[in-house]
Amino acid sequence: MNDFTLFDPMSSAVRSTLIIFVVLSIFFIVVGAKIKKLDPKKTPKGFLFGCIMLVDGFNKFISEYMDKDKFKFFGAYLFTIIVFLATANTISLIGLTPPLSNLGVALAFTVMTFFAIKIAEFKFISVKKKVDNLLGEVKFMAPILFPINLIGEVSTPFTMGLRMFVNLLSGVVIATMVYSVLSFSLGFLQGLSGIFAGLFLHAVFDIFFGLIQAFVFLMLTTINISLATDA
Amino acid sequence: MFETVFSTMFRFAEVTNAGLAWLGAGFAVIAGLGTGIGQGYAAGKAAEAVGRQPDAQGKILVTTLVTQAVAETTGLYGLLVALILIGKS
Repeated sequence: MNDFTLFDPMSSAVRSTLIIFVVLSIFFIVVGAKIKKLDPKKTPKGFLFGCIMLVDGFNKFISEYMDKDKFKFFGAYLFTIIVFLATANTISLIGLTPPLSNLGVALAFTVMTFFAIKIAEFKFISVKKKVDNLLGEVKFMAPILFPINLIGEVSTPFTMGLRMFVNLLSGVVIATMVYSVLSFSLGFLQGLSGIFAGLFLHAVFDIFFGLIQAFVFLMLTTINISLATDA
Repeated sequence: MFETVFSTMFRFAEVTNAGLAWLGAGFAVIAGLGTGIGQGYAAGKAAEAVGRQPDAQGKILVTTLVTQAVAETTGLYGLLVALILIGKS
């Protein structure tokens, strides 16, 4: 574990973001090129079959919560988000800092979600409908409700980014705390308990909470896009 | 008795800005109380729903995860405020 700083723009978290970004890009490009070359008449085998099944299962799962035209437009974005987050939140298993434990990276996701919702609104509902939504149902309450709705536009993506940030940060803080307690001396028993504590901590905070947070972010993005364009 | 206790306390411990910041951090994480109650309530209702309708377990699980994450937010804000206060000192 490296020392943890709350508001540092180019910290280890940003570095590991760039590493994940490059690795995933290369991986996707290679797999995409291989899938393009496949023969559509034959059944695919092995690793490529797994990739195809993954994308297929994802499509089936998300299209339960979204209309078809919206899903066709946002499906690729949502899949990119879930793959990146699932990788990023479990990255500390190989020794890198989880990227989402930096506020800058988390707020980048806030900005992305904000623009995704705005693009969905511009694409799928009219401006008049949007203004109606902002003013609220009851017209004479509009002067009160309009500022509240305007805050709600910003606060929804802000909450999503911040939630993921603090969740990942709490895992990093607790792991750092336990490791610093266990590193007072280097006795045999303490080293052994450090290994087991690390096993438990990383199993719970990285794999379990990390994957759940990635899933929750995906679901909230899906639901917010659906909600913003439905009404 | 209390006078002696307080007088000894204040003789050894003076009130500093850093100390007040740590005290505030301690108060801020009380926000976890409401979060715990809310999440427990949501989980209990989800268990009830699964008991009543075991076929819909997958959908109930997804809904529960999302609602629990939403309920968790206030407690996380408390934690964030506490961390910021610790960083100030």
